[in-house]
Amino acid sequence: MAELGEADEVELQRLVAAEQQKVQFTAQVHHFMELCWDKCVETPGNRLDSRTENCLSSCVDHFIDTTLAITSRFAQIVQKGGQ
Amino acid sequence: MDSSSSSSAAGLGAVDPQLQHFIEVETQKQRFQQLVHQMTELCWEKCMDKPGPKLDSRAEACFVNCVERFIDTSQFILNRLEQTQKSKPVFSESLSD
Repeated sequence: MAELGEADEVELQRLVAAEQQKVQFTAQVHHFMELCWDKCVETPGNRLDSRTENCLSSCVDHFIDTTLAITSRFAQIVQKGGQ
Repeated sequence: MDSSSSSSAAGLGAVDPQLQHFIEVETQKQRFQQLVHQMTELCWEKCMDKPGPKLDSRAEACFVNCVERFIDTSQFILNRLEQTQKSKPVFSESLSD
């Protein structure tokens, strides 16, 4: 392949980073679908009712809160252990 | 992701456009089949209690709803996550590590 100029290389890196971000986001959506579909959708009706919507919101929010709580707890433990 | 495979193929420009088109079409077909499989797996669980001698109208309606609600749900979660990413950027950082 032909050598890339410095500007091209920076542009390419930016593109790759943006694509990786998209991949990660899609993976997150998939992950949440797997978790929250089972929890919130019982018998699929002819529209997404408000109960299900609320459940989905809670599902996503609480998962994020849980992840953050666990992450900070781990960070605490690691910090204590390092001293 | 794999830079060695593309550079060993004598540069990207050398790829036969016909072959490239063929691969694109096949990949599309594969994705579609995967989606059908996934939907069957999910909606079979939700809609099939005891399979009778024929697919009754109740199960059929349930399947239709199931696929449509799956799409709605995925859209809903996507929007929800987009919002969260704006309000809680810490979360997306903690996942990428």
